[in-house]
Amino acid sequence: MRRLIATTLMLLGLAPVAQTQAQDTFRFTAIPDEDQTRLVERFQKVADYLADTLDVDVEYVPVKSYSAAVSAFRNDQVQLAWFGGLSGVQARRLVPGSQALAQGVEDAAFHSYFIANADTGIAADQDQLPESFEGHSFTFGAKTSTSGRLMPEYYLRERFGEAPEALFSRVGFSGDHTRTIALVESGTYDVGAVNYSVWNAAVEAGRVDTDKVHVVWETPAYPDYQWTIRGDVDARFGDGFTDRVRQALLGMTDPDLLESFPRQGFIPVSNDAYAPIETVGEDLGLLR
Amino acid sequence: MAEPTAPGMLRGDSPGLRLARRSLVLVALCAVLLPFADLSVVAHDPWAELGRMATGLALPHWGELSSPLQAIGLTVSVALWGTLLGVLLGFPLALVFFRSRLVRTGCAFVRAIHELFWALLFLQVFGFSAVTALAALAVPYAGIFAKVYAEILEQTPRDAADSLPPGVGRLSRFVYAELPLAWERLAAYTRYRFECSLRASVLLGFVGLPTLGFHLESAFREGHYHQAGALLWLFYLLIGTIGVWGHRRLLPLLAFASLFLLGPWPHVDGDLLWRFLSHDLWPAPLLNGDWAGLIAWLGDIPDLGPAIGNTLLLGLMGTVGALVIALLLWPLASRHFGNPATRLGGRALLVGLRSTPELMLAFIFLLLLGPSMLPAWLALALHNGALIAFLAARHADSLEPGMPGLSASGRYAYELLPRLYPGLLALVFYRAEVIIRETALLGMLGVATLGFHIDSSFQYLMFDQAFFLLLVTAGLNIAVDALARRYRPREVVMDDPCSR
Repeated sequence: MRRLIATTLMLLGLAPVAQTQAQDTFRFTAIPDEDQTRLVERFQKVADYLADTLDVDVEYVPVKSYSAAVSAFRNDQVQLAWFGGLSGVQARRLVPGSQALAQGVEDAAFHSYFIANADTGIAADQDQLPESFEGHSFTFGAKTSTSGRLMPEYYLRERFGEAPEALFSRVGFSGDHTRTIALVESGTYDVGAVNYSVWNAAVEAGRVDTDKVHVVWETPAYPDYQWTIRGDVDARFGDGFTDRVRQALLGMTDPDLLESFPRQGFIPVSNDAYAPIETVGEDLGLLR
Repeated sequence: MAEPTAPGMLRGDSPGLRLARRSLVLVALCAVLLPFADLSVVAHDPWAELGRMATGLALPHWGELSSPLQAIGLTVSVALWGTLLGVLLGFPLALVFFRSRLVRTGCAFVRAIHELFWALLFLQVFGFSAVTALAALAVPYAGIFAKVYAEILEQTPRDAADSLPPGVGRLSRFVYAELPLAWERLAAYTRYRFECSLRASVLLGFVGLPTLGFHLESAFREGHYHQAGALLWLFYLLIGTIGVWGHRRLLPLLAFASLFLLGPWPHVDGDLLWRFLSHDLWPAPLLNGDWAGLIAWLGDIPDLGPAIGNTLLLGLMGTVGALVIALLLWPLASRHFGNPATRLGGRALLVGLRSTPELMLAFIFLLLLGPSMLPAWLALALHNGALIAFLAARHADSLEPGMPGLSASGRYAYELLPRLYPGLLALVFYRAEVIIRETALLGMLGVATLGFHIDSSFQYLMFDQAFFLLLVTAGLNIAVDALARRYRPREVVMDDPCSR
């Protein structure tokens, strides 16, 4: 122990000079809505693609939640991010001048599914949110998920005119779409709200027992995930850099790269497309 | 635990009776308040999911892990340097601890906030970097070290110092007559803290720092149980073999090598730091001097009454649960009971229970029992109870039974427990404050504790609100800590372990 402390004191004297980040590396972050395993390896390919296309050093910064991604974006620790609908709005409000560049083909008309455990007796595929939801337990996904929280809460309030806490016997936040499915399938929660693409992928892969849990209602379409870039990148990386990034994203056609998101491709989008999300976020008190 | 058989049994002023009274009051309080807790059990069908988990743990897929060695390296580096920095900050504070109320209050405050919440705060400024991870450990640990070191130094025998000739300087007296006597205990405690910081370092992964917990949480949350199983085994192995790789002769080498594993280092932006400290953390109306706005701001704070109530109730239930679990489990790992095979199994069970992150235990119980306070209660009680049981077993192993020929139950009840109980109860009281802190992490159960709202505020990027709630939580923790200190058995000299 004595030696340990002696060595420590010595080391602190010699501690390697902290490598500060080089200023001209372009950093981005992305959180897919399913399968976050091997994120670094998978997104390294995207980083390589962007580096080749843009001719700058590109680095992928792994983060775990949308709020963390927003903080990194705000603090200029990343300049480009693949956000959800709500987190994109949060980020653009915090960083004036930043803009939405591109969204996934699927994101122009994204949906949430309300799913229910079969034992609740709530029938599948209804035209509207059923009255029979009342008194059951319910779980959202993550607290700031657009498809797992924001839009489902919006449609619940629109249909029933009251807060989810008043409608349901209990409201939980599973933290993740995959987990929402698992919790409703096991009957831990009676009803849940989930991202439609995660649900479809899980059903296709056979990870869901559709005898035990089924889709009750599909929300109308709303805009969701998008790439957002900071407003000051042109000043740092050269005029027209924003447009070049947009072109690089739109030109991403390699299925191997797109699979990471997972999207079929990217299409252009503007900040205005997310005005409905912003309004809903303000109404629900998630934005201020 | 002594059960009263007739009125008057518990009267008297002997230490044993005082302990029995306190334990019974604690249990009775818990029993009286239990009806207010939300403990419904929902019957359903958890077996498919639990089966997948069990298979994952039984058949881990080692090959699918991406860079596990790097994650382990980072976990150890963060734990080691977080502890060392905590020592460096805490030791000087320990020297003035009992002389300065300011230092004591400051230390109580930094201790009262969970490592994960410190990480969330530092994250806003330093991003996902080594600085965030190290600061999240070093700051609360500095407060802990300051307090515990001060207590240890205070208990150092004075004889050596008193026998020095007059005129010996304060520093010399400390270095030659006080420090050597306390050294053993200081070192033992520091070592213990390192083990705690290893667990904390894994937990930091849950908020996104790329330690082992980062991968574990992702895999577990998304249902990749074969990977989660592999990572969990790695974690158990890491904790279980700490005596081997964390040998004191190896530590300097380890500390040096791990310097190179730490990273990435952030580019710290002074403006950013200043904006966060001077602006983000405070309510905008307060900064603008807009008092009416401040009242509106307070109106937007989530309902504090139920949140504080839930937090305290869960804390109390967790504490009592931990006491019961500890009483039941400690013989499993003690040399006075069973045979080598059962002891090995018992030890493995205790290490498993205390090392498995509470969040995972809670999720398993959530599947089994449905959403309510019950899964949180069980998770907290088992985790903390196992931790206390492990220490109680170690304490028991240092005792020599004086009455030969007693049956096992007799040995438990008449020989060992009476000697262990003061220490065990003291640990439980110490642990109460930790349990309160841990209730913060269980928001996914739909139980609105303070921690649930703090997490929400961070998610909604309302840092001023998060900071306000953190202050409330810290105040609550300090109050509980003071209460626990008031009532904890004073007769025992605490060889305080991981409990703080």
